[in-house]
Amino acid sequence: MVWKKSDDQPNSYPEPAPAAPRPMSSTPTTTSSTQPEPRRSSERATIGASIIIKGDLSGGEDLVIEGRVDGKVDLKQHNVTVGPSGRVKADIFGKVITIEGEVDGNVFAQEQAILRQAGAIRGNITAPRVVLEDGSRFKGSIDMEIREAGSSKHESSRPERERPQPVEAGRSQAGEPAGASRAAQAG
Amino acid sequence: MSWFLRSRKETAPVATQVEPGPDVHRSLGLNALLESMRRKGQGLRILDLGPAVGSNVEFLSQLGCKLHIGDLYASRSTAVEGEELGQEFFEQLFPNDARFDVVLAWDLFNYLQRKEMVRLGSLIRRHCRPGALVFALMSIQKQIPAQPIRFRMLEGGQLAYERRSGLERPGPRYAPAEITNFLKGFQVDRSFLLRHGIQEYLLIREDEEEETRVM
Repeated sequence: MVWKKSDDQPNSYPEPAPAAPRPMSSTPTTTSSTQPEPRRSSERATIGASIIIKGDLSGGEDLVIEGRVDGKVDLKQHNVTVGPSGRVKADIFGKVITIEGEVDGNVFAQEQAILRQAGAIRGNITAPRVVLEDGSRFKGSIDMEIREAGSSKHESSRPERERPQPVEAGRSQAGEPAGASRAAQAG
Repeated sequence: MSWFLRSRKETAPVATQVEPGPDVHRSLGLNALLESMRRKGQGLRILDLGPAVGSNVEFLSQLGCKLHIGDLYASRSTAVEGEELGQEFFEQLFPNDARFDVVLAWDLFNYLQRKEMVRLGSLIRRHCRPGALVFALMSIQKQIPAQPIRFRMLEGGQLAYERRSGLERPGPRYAPAEITNFLKGFQVDRSFLLRHGIQEYLLIREDEEEETRVM
């Protein structure tokens, strides 16, 4: 398995930062678990375009996937980016999740999920904030509610005052219509 | 992951060419829909049969809605050209056991044949709660864009029409009676004929009791 530290990341990745080269920590075949030392948030690992991983991934740093992963990606406290050549066939858990490649699975982001123009997701997105760029392809459900700790009540991700105020129904408004009607209620 | 590949295909154009580009129109149907949604409160489940449009997603999420994107047209482009869409095709647009309060059909009904409309209509009925609303834009023009329009909700109850190409094809010009026939269990709550040849429909799902009495 080849993991490499990235030092030339595109600007679109969340929190881009140079990473000092260092040996990669990895476990055989399927799972990468980096437990012991606390990592700087600027560090991130990259799965190269030619790499195929079958199995779950977890770790303690940000991750860029340019290759193919068939297994759960569990980096709840870190950012996950599926690059333009990246393909993930499983659920992804992360803090900020950016998709520029293809994901066939559910996306669970603690802070934000971003589907870039070239990206595609077939699955559900759960995140307090979701950004879908024009041209992106998405099929599934979007859940932007946040659950309060210790409470079963769901609340919207935005305060009441920010919610859009629908304008009044147009029946009484002058405008563009050539005709309007309200069907009689069937008895 | 064939969906990823197939959804990039486009169907062949049919007829004349006009200038593509976004038009902005005041949508009385959308205004009526939003007002109904506001009355119903938060937590509504919405099925959007159109493609995922970022600004629409943001707008609807601000209303406290849960959204499911079906993207019928992208799925349709995966089907064999000219082949009638079967029951299985339409079933995959709906999540299992989900019941919706609002269905955004946009102009997609214009691109389905009668038999396909019946299949989709029965599924919409099955997956809608009583009182659910269907928002549909039917063209009364002889020619319609070759591909469904991408609609973007704007401030002030306006809709931006974003045509994907300048090509056109003949439109089905379904009559109002046909639409309620396709969507059995629904009745027209409001309809608005707009100057640019679009009839906006807001259809409402009757409650079960009413439905069985009529049948």
